[in-house]
Amino acid sequence: MKIAIEELAGCSGCTIAVLDLHEMLLDVVKEAEIVYSPVIMDVKEPPEGIDIAFVTGAVRNEENRERLEKLRRRAKTLVALGTCACYGGISGLSMLSSNEDLFSCVYREVETAKPDGVIPTDVPPFLYRAFAVGDLVKIDYYVTGCPPKEVFVKKIIPAMVAGDKLELSRKSVCSECDRTMGPVENWTLKRRHEGVPDREHCLLGQGYLCLGSVTFGRCAAACPKNNIPCHGCNGPSLDILREPCRDIYGMMVRRISDLTDKPQKEVEKELYDVAHTMYAFTIGSLIMEDKETSKIRDLVKERSR
Amino acid sequence: MKEITISPVTRIEGHAGIRIYLDDKGAVDSAHFQVVELRGFEKFLVGAAVEEAPRITPRICGICPSAHHLAAAKATDRIFGVEPPATGKKLRELLNIGQFVHSHALHFFMLAAPDFILGHDAPAESRNVIGLARNSPEIAKKAIAVRKFGQRLTEAVGGKPIHPANALPGGMSAPLTEGKRAELAVMAEEALGIAREGWEIARNLLDGVDTEVGAVRTGFLGMANQGVYSTYDGSVAMLGADGGRAGSFSDADYTKFIEEYSEDWSYLKFARFKGGDYYRVGPLARLNIVERMGTEHADAALTEYRERFGTVAQAPLAYHLARYIEFIASCERAADLLSDPGITGSDIRARVGKVVNRRGVGIIEAPRGTLIHDYTVNEAGIIERCNLIVATCQNNYAIDRGVEDMARRVVENGALTEGAANRIEMIVRAYDPCISCATHAIGRMPLRIECVRRT
Repeated sequence: MKIAIEELAGCSGCTIAVLDLHEMLLDVVKEAEIVYSPVIMDVKEPPEGIDIAFVTGAVRNEENRERLEKLRRRAKTLVALGTCACYGGISGLSMLSSNEDLFSCVYREVETAKPDGVIPTDVPPFLYRAFAVGDLVKIDYYVTGCPPKEVFVKKIIPAMVAGDKLELSRKSVCSECDRTMGPVENWTLKRRHEGVPDREHCLLGQGYLCLGSVTFGRCAAACPKNNIPCHGCNGPSLDILREPCRDIYGMMVRRISDLTDKPQKEVEKELYDVAHTMYAFTIGSLIMEDKETSKIRDLVKERSR
Repeated sequence: MKEITISPVTRIEGHAGIRIYLDDKGAVDSAHFQVVELRGFEKFLVGAAVEEAPRITPRICGICPSAHHLAAAKATDRIFGVEPPATGKKLRELLNIGQFVHSHALHFFMLAAPDFILGHDAPAESRNVIGLARNSPEIAKKAIAVRKFGQRLTEAVGGKPIHPANALPGGMSAPLTEGKRAELAVMAEEALGIAREGWEIARNLLDGVDTEVGAVRTGFLGMANQGVYSTYDGSVAMLGADGGRAGSFSDADYTKFIEEYSEDWSYLKFARFKGGDYYRVGPLARLNIVERMGTEHADAALTEYRERFGTVAQAPLAYHLARYIEFIASCERAADLLSDPGITGSDIRARVGKVVNRRGVGIIEAPRGTLIHDYTVNEAGIIERCNLIVATCQNNYAIDRGVEDMARRVVENGALTEGAANRIEMIVRAYDPCISCATHAIGRMPLRIECVRRT
């Protein structure tokens, strides 16, 4: 059993999530051989004949795309590991501006750079947009999470190595949350730093934009349990994925409207910074952009040349 | 023109390459450290509600997310004009310590040690943590145990072991429970035991190694709290290349001392002192700057270290020992904080109102060096400008020059053996560069080494 882990446009957090198997890692390497993982070993190229390859990160430049295609050719099973690979992840936010504006800002406009700063050209060129890996090659399994959580990785990796089938929860973050729906009166949307939410009741009911209901679970609702509203880092829930007419924004508006008896139009007026609060992890996904009601098309500048 | 490429540079975080240019005789003309990723956080945070910065910026780096999380949180404290209460502040410090324990243990045992313990000429496929597990299973088990403590600590205080979310404007969102505290206190003592034992390996790591390789002379920059080692709070001190004190700053004053520039062949910017002098950050810099570590075992190790490298060390390979001493200090400090009765208090979050200051700068020591988050917002708290200066950007010049120095030593007749390539990479690895951070990058960094023959 030969395993590879590739890194594209990402933060290496998913590779760390694999290392977070901790002592189980020693059992895994007894059963399987890790033949390629640039963060932890020196093999420079993925070899032929990989049984299971995990690809982490999104595709943002030419080199990412070449590596993804090479990995697909050399692996029997290709797994998209983490939200960047599955939906573009945080890198997708780079599509909020054009590539030119992005480079200009980074190399010329920030406080410590100079207006005549060099914009690098002898580097792998950016593609016109970010891609989730499944937008470009066939993916056999998707494992969401930013990064996938330890309890869950501890289930899937040994099972994959052993060739076992697994039944896993397909529910939303709310299904794992221990809060109850409290009274919802005089509801107005709060910014995340306003007030202190109580620990007993639903954060959305208290006026905080918690994406738990539209987000795929398997994180044990870690953030809501720590009094932090869900940011949607596991990507969309299954009901949104399945239905072409359902989208993160539309479903959130509908839920808030049902909860508060406010008309949807009124709810929409209260929303702010939709890009960073609702689509922070999914802008790079064509699947999510193509939804009938998706706001991604309105948010993205860099879609075509 | 002939090029030798080492691609990707491995056992570092992110994506990079090395390009070596040869002259017509096959000797090294020049060499560069090249980063092939950019992600563009400084641009795409514009328009974000500033309280989201602590949730978005951890995704810059999966190895040191807490550092970004906390630097952003500190910046938002300034913007809303609040100070976290004492317990909230202690929890934040503890969160940063969890980060150091995991990151330094990961780097020392899993990424760097294979070169020294297995030998840098060991075969590529076994010169890694898995080879270490086979050859020195006891070391591997201990490495896993200490890293696990770091991640458990991060999870207990920050909510998640990777990309924690609990720090927010004014403090922390959840207290540390007594059950967790007790459990972690035991783990901290175990980790400290392992760290002290490991010093026997670490102190001799560079015996018989030429520590002059990859040498550069630079100034240094790092945080200290009244001369004592501190990673969460303090002022940032600067040293000149001669080791002389060159002043200190805090908050937005960093712009008076630091400038950035870029080169055509790398996505990674270079930071230096205004006036053109180069400096370095990270474990080596911090130990050059502090008078003492402030904890017993780390101070004893520091005394030994200074006997060998002097009070202002310049050798890149000394980073490994400096990092290890910080690892000991982090375990000691974690044990201290976890036995502090105030750590489980419920007063963790100051009430936050409207925007008080239109600009907020958060500075913190990340495992790889000083990290600066600088946000300018409108009256509603929406980000208008953002500047992020990360450790690897500040070490970029030193890594680049160190690579060239090593290339001149190991490239023979225009050829590069695998062992020689790994020695060049060892210089890069000494700095533990984090390319995800460095480029806030969209991309990947295993190192590519290219040799280019100029004709």
